[in-house]
Amino acid sequence: MSLAKNKIVFEDCRTSCVEIESFSILDNQSILITGGTGFIGKWLAEMISYINSASKVNIKLYLLGRDIAKFKGEVPHLAEKNFIYFIEQDVRYLHDLPSDINYIIHAAGSPDNREHVSDPLKTIETFYKGTQSLLDAASRIQDLKKIIHLSSHQVYGKNETEQLISENSFGPFEALNIANCYAESKRIAETLCSYYKNNLRLPIVILRPFSFIGPYQDIEKPWAINSFIRDAILGGPIRILGNGLTERSYLYASDMAYSILRTLIDGKIGEIYNLGSNTPISLNELAFKIQSLSATKMEILSKSSKENYLSISKLVPNTDKIIKDLNVKEIFTIDEAINRTILWNQLNKNN
Amino acid sequence: MIKQILISDPTLRDGNHACAHQLSAQQIAIYCEAADKAGVPIVEVGHGNGLGASSLQVGLSKEDDKTILETAKKHLNKSKLGIHVIPGFATIKRDLVKAIDIGVDVIRVASHCTEADITQRHLGYVRERGKEAYGVLMMSHMASASVLVEEAQKMELYGAEGIIIMDSAGAYLPSDVQEKISALVNGLKVPVGFHAHNNLGMAIANSVTAIESGAKILDGTARGFGAGAGNAQLEVLVAVLEKMGYVTGIDLYKILDASDIAEKKIMSTVPTIKSDSIVSGLSGVFSGFAKHVSRISNEYEVDPRDVYRELGKRKIVGGQEDIIIEVVMDLIRNRK
Repeated sequence: MSLAKNKIVFEDCRTSCVEIESFSILDNQSILITGGTGFIGKWLAEMISYINSASKVNIKLYLLGRDIAKFKGEVPHLAEKNFIYFIEQDVRYLHDLPSDINYIIHAAGSPDNREHVSDPLKTIETFYKGTQSLLDAASRIQDLKKIIHLSSHQVYGKNETEQLISENSFGPFEALNIANCYAESKRIAETLCSYYKNNLRLPIVILRPFSFIGPYQDIEKPWAINSFIRDAILGGPIRILGNGLTERSYLYASDMAYSILRTLIDGKIGEIYNLGSNTPISLNELAFKIQSLSATKMEILSKSSKENYLSISKLVPNTDKIIKDLNVKEIFTIDEAINRTILWNQLNKNN
Repeated sequence: MIKQILISDPTLRDGNHACAHQLSAQQIAIYCEAADKAGVPIVEVGHGNGLGASSLQVGLSKEDDKTILETAKKHLNKSKLGIHVIPGFATIKRDLVKAIDIGVDVIRVASHCTEADITQRHLGYVRERGKEAYGVLMMSHMASASVLVEEAQKMELYGAEGIIIMDSAGAYLPSDVQEKISALVNGLKVPVGFHAHNNLGMAIANSVTAIESGAKILDGTARGFGAGAGNAQLEVLVAVLEKMGYVTGIDLYKILDASDIAEKKIMSTVPTIKSDSIVSGLSGVFSGFAKHVSRISNEYEVDPRDVYRELGKRKIVGGQEDIIIEVVMDLIRNRK
């Protein structure tokens, strides 16, 4: 089962990695990933593992996280790779980093909004202190070529339009809503990036991730697509909570990892790029799609506080800039993304 | 457009408060069969304070949770089996895992109205097992509408498919219900529900106000069998909703039969609004305290109405039953 699961991930990396030769620039370079043991960290490690094996480059990887033992238990095939080195550390208290680091991908911090509302101070600390500690430590590295700061689409606030969200479309924001502690701390982290870029000349590029789906993403996370897939795997019913006309978009995990690494190479310093899929899908459509792609047919239930909504929430990025500057594109369709995710999770459940 | 209201019936859970948690397996079986025949969507069973709550502190249950759940499951065909879960009384490993294994369909995870944070793990586990998960905010009269919305939003994030506020003290007037339910409907994505108590004779009126303010879930018990002055009387609620054009899926004649059976077979006394209950409601004291206050006041010869007033002043909540004796002692000391 494990082999079958790993094969899915390996094949997906190969499919998404359309210009593998572009990574020759990373030969004999060291990359640090904070939040290296999470969903994004695992996929970046998988993609780099694929690049190292398929193109004979030698990329060294430092994965920084709080629970390395857990990572080793979850992905033993990655943990045993000799190009991966671990740093067990809470990013908030980071002081020194290995001096041979050339690139940094700052992905630390959970996007899980359950944690944000339960422990808002920790959320704020992780993104504010964590980013500051990392950038301070980074400023002491000699041969640092680029830092990718993973921000969040939540910095845009509420999208009150039907438009896709471009890098300069900001909506209203409720600072007093405790759930916004994540978005606010991501905003201050971006401001910190701006300071370190301007005053200390750190080579920072910001990515603003939207929604992703794929293996390694916990299907217990409180997001619609994860819940729908979990419900489907359990045999249903699929439960749509709230407005079924809400629109989101989902970038498959291997496409995400490839785009982040392409940003590492070609991202323009000081620029901000949206990272996500530009293909909207409503929650109703998503539920029906998951229902039709599942082996067993299950009921779909809608539960909502209201019959009619005054507006439809739409969180879908305009990705023109990242496509133009970095020549990345979405390889996996939403149908393929769902199929791969369900298959991997079924194998994972039976493992 | 059909206006569908989801009815949950905690006769065999809230009613347990009214008989010091002494409902027997046989009584549970009898009422489950009757409620099932009537088409009650959810039948909630258990100790008055929910799963895992049987204890000296809040009262020992006649039957253990396993017996209660297995008996109810065996006698429910169409109706879903529901439970009330307060984290702390119920742990995931010791209680919730077993309850779901027995076949519980609906789990309502409850906290005091300002402590939704404690429900995260329980709600998460219920969703993980693919069961229906609801969040319940108890003693909701103690928090403002805006605080209730904040707490309910947390439960929604944790995975609750609906949020029910409880008027645990029977303290609300319709205007309070209108204010709070409307705020919740506006602030939440998931359906909102209301659980009434009848201390001030407002249970049906408040339930009607709740649905007219946008609630989609209501609780009601046969003959109002529940803590203190009891709950919204289910058979009355079904009749009123039918008259108003709402659909509950419950057969009126059969729920009338079920409540007749319940009165004969499971109730030693049918709840009425006693003098003490009125003061309890005015003071905002948890209805589940009624038996404890009555017993201790009687034993020490103090006026239970004074006890309720003092408990209300101190803002005592469910789980703090040991404070009742402290209040009684203070009243005696002050008398001297």
